[in-house]
Amino acid sequence: MTELAGTRTGDDAVRIGSRNQRLQALVNWRLAKPVSAVTVATIAILVGVNFSLADQLKWTLWVSFGVVAMSLSFIWGKAGIFSFGQNALFGIGAYGYAILSLNLFPYTGETLSALIFAGVVAAAFAAALGYFMFYGRVGDVYLSVLTLAVTLILYTVFSSTAGPQYRIGEATLGGFNGMPGLPTLTFWMPGGSAPLEIQGLMIFAIGLAAVLYVLTSYAADSRFGEILSGVRDNETRMELLGYDVRFWKWLAFVVGGAIAGIGGGLFAAWGTFTNPSVFSLTQAAMVIIWVMVGGRNSLFGAFVGVVIVQWVADEADKIVSEQTPLILGLMLILSLFLLPNGVVPTILNWVKSWFSRTAEVSAVESASPQPVAADARAETGAGPVRHGVIIAENVAKSFGGLTVLRGVDLTFDEAPVYAIIGPNGAGKSTFFNVLTGRVSATQGRITLNGADVGAMPAFERARLGLGIKLQIASIFPSMTVRQHIDLALRARSLANREQLIERTLRDVDLWDRADDQASDLAHGQQQWLEIAMVIAQRPSVILLDEPTAGMSRQEKVRTARLIERLSASHRIIVVEHDMAFVRSLEAPVAMLHEGRVFRNGSFEAVCGDEDVINIYLGRRSNVVSA
Amino acid sequence: MDSLLVVLFSAATSIATLLIASIGLAVIFGLMRIINMAHGEFLMIGAFATVMLVRALGLPVLVAAAGGALAAALLGLIVELVLIRPLYGRRLVDTLLVTFGLSLVLFQLAVNIFGTTSPGISTPFGAVTIGEYSVSVYSLFLIPIAALLMLVVYLVFTRTKYGLLARAAAQNPEMASALGVDARKINKLTFMLGAALAGLGGGLLAPIVAVSPGMGQSYIGQAFMTVITGGQAFLLGTLASAAALGGVQNIVAQLVTTFWGLAALFLTSIVILRFMPEGLSARWKRQL
Repeated sequence: MTELAGTRTGDDAVRIGSRNQRLQALVNWRLAKPVSAVTVATIAILVGVNFSLADQLKWTLWVSFGVVAMSLSFIWGKAGIFSFGQNALFGIGAYGYAILSLNLFPYTGETLSALIFAGVVAAAFAAALGYFMFYGRVGDVYLSVLTLAVTLILYTVFSSTAGPQYRIGEATLGGFNGMPGLPTLTFWMPGGSAPLEIQGLMIFAIGLAAVLYVLTSYAADSRFGEILSGVRDNETRMELLGYDVRFWKWLAFVVGGAIAGIGGGLFAAWGTFTNPSVFSLTQAAMVIIWVMVGGRNSLFGAFVGVVIVQWVADEADKIVSEQTPLILGLMLILSLFLLPNGVVPTILNWVKSWFSRTAEVSAVESASPQPVAADARAETGAGPVRHGVIIAENVAKSFGGLTVLRGVDLTFDEAPVYAIIGPNGAGKSTFFNVLTGRVSATQGRITLNGADVGAMPAFERARLGLGIKLQIASIFPSMTVRQHIDLALRARSLANREQLIERTLRDVDLWDRADDQASDLAHGQQQWLEIAMVIAQRPSVILLDEPTAGMSRQEKVRTARLIERLSASHRIIVVEHDMAFVRSLEAPVAMLHEGRVFRNGSFEAVCGDEDVINIYLGRRSNVVSA
Repeated sequence: MDSLLVVLFSAATSIATLLIASIGLAVIFGLMRIINMAHGEFLMIGAFATVMLVRALGLPVLVAAAGGALAAALLGLIVELVLIRPLYGRRLVDTLLVTFGLSLVLFQLAVNIFGTTSPGISTPFGAVTIGEYSVSVYSLFLIPIAALLMLVVYLVFTRTKYGLLARAAAQNPEMASALGVDARKINKLTFMLGAALAGLGGGLLAPIVAVSPGMGQSYIGQAFMTVITGGQAFLLGTLASAAALGGVQNIVAQLVTTFWGLAALFLTSIVILRFMPEGLSARWKRQL
């Protein structure tokens, strides 16, 4: 998006204003979520106690549905994991409650332990399943189908457990008919146990949901949530920043599993039964429809979605009976086309745009010019960093039958800057990706500062001091500029974090846009933002893939100057196409051709070589492969 | 000796069944990357159309199955125009959701029209005896049919001009358009072809399975796992994974029960994907 010069001043004022508001919001925030959750829960309870018993039962059921829907909102909206399996985890929770309560209740006289167990067993199952999916790096689409397959397996397995041999302690699994006669939710009290009546169960369920909501939204707004947003927005960049993406997705999935499991436990306690239909496809569809209608980016929307969808389904059932799948299917299709963001985020957006129109005026009025620390323009946020050494020995790579690299030996240990050139198809990009760890070499060794990193995934190399700038700006579109640097400061202590962020952003002239969303930046600014992230990682070696692609002449000059500045404290390796730019770097050049190092030396020596010229001109006849 | 032969035939029939149930999805999901959750319902519609043609007109099963393919292709045309086309270029998950909604709608419509059970059709060709075992001839007949189907589809995609264009349009519609190919029209045709193959599969399976509105749900998981486990080579990869998964399923089903055979199919594919996330054909030179 291009910005009109005329609006700049106003924007700045709003930005300063919003910074103050942000602080204010930060103070209020810790209270805001619990207060609103308690308010909503209280209202729900006050309304609920006046319902008939049948409606109170329904209300409780909906709350248990809302909890599992919220678990999907969390993993899908926050971490970008689309799973069909939340309902299966809900079902596992239900069976977990059933099995433990049947075994323990006669002795302990309470079932709260069974409810907790429901969350634990579902989390454990999610952990095992998540290991296969995330550590196998199964793609997004495959993941959704895998979770669907697991749901079907569970349905099959639990349906075929009829017969007395399928029992765990006192609990018979009961095959297709499931497990009836479970104890309802019961607390241990001094002087005897107290089973919850219908109304008591409803109040407890609403209270529990409110607590889970507050905890989950706290997780979503914490650093954990910020990392998950980063993973959702741009997995590659997170990896290059040194985050183990597999682990964070796995963790999010386990947390979602625990929430879903507690919902399932609540469900089993509500109905005092459970059966394999909790693993059916229709049930799995329901969870997705609730979240779609309520809004996947809103945890609260999950509950709203349940209420809307279930209410519509119930009302429709009175008009045309037994058409639930048809109605659900239509609701899913319609919500996708008409309200792709769901009800709650759509309403919130209306409210926000209405508020920001009024707020903008007051922000401009109240904005006071902020004193800017003049000495803040110091060295890069990084401080002194030694020049790292990276060595490639006999690196070869083939894709299927196609051999791209045929044994590359290159050592980057003397000059501050190195350039790698070569005609199209020479293997430059593959070599770059082998260095970064995004592609693993078929043979050969890569050493980074003395450590053999050849078998390491990208994030581990990043932790050892490798900074990588990809050709296309790789950023997190939905995050603010400030959050980018915050994520890049992965291992830094929190003490001077704010200061480091400011210094890094000033270094690339983005400080005045710190609170803007990255997707609003101009193309060039996004490139600078990515470089700022790389610098904030404090790498000892920086790899730049075609840093000037798509840049104007002037921007190229600026980039060359930046590289020179960075080379004072980092080793820099540039893969580049543009010969004029490579010349301006005044760096040793390695030329790749047909997967080998063809020439290696100063720019003048390499580019004055007749064979090199012939290769670039496509006169292959008189070139003898070195 | 006889029992070994019967076991082998049974395994080959399982593999052929899995292939017949998956080949339409291999085109729509494997090639076009459209996550068609309504694939099972396309099968179901082909099966119902076949049953109706056999019962009402007395057509032979193979002819009726072609009618099933036609019915599914027509449905595929409507679905592509109304639901899939507006979503090209949006997130993958959107087509997943919209076809998921569609599968629920089609399921309920089938219940409304046909009821929850169907009269079904008898298995043609009778049975042969191998030693002391009796084997259905139609089941054996599915083995060459599956092989023939695979061969024809393979030749269509490798030897015809349409096949080349279809692969180009599915993999890079902008580029194909820039070269003067009407990518939208080609993709519409390919989607119809995939739907027709699903309908044909449903028709071919109709004599040996219980045809009901819910039959789609029992095939969707298997079909997806087969195509995913197959990987990038959407035809030969699917063939390879059908052989692996169908084989495992059949052996476990014979040793334990049909239920566990199905569970074994899913577990095998999950384990394969843990160690070969790109599927069986990830390192093949062939892309088909």
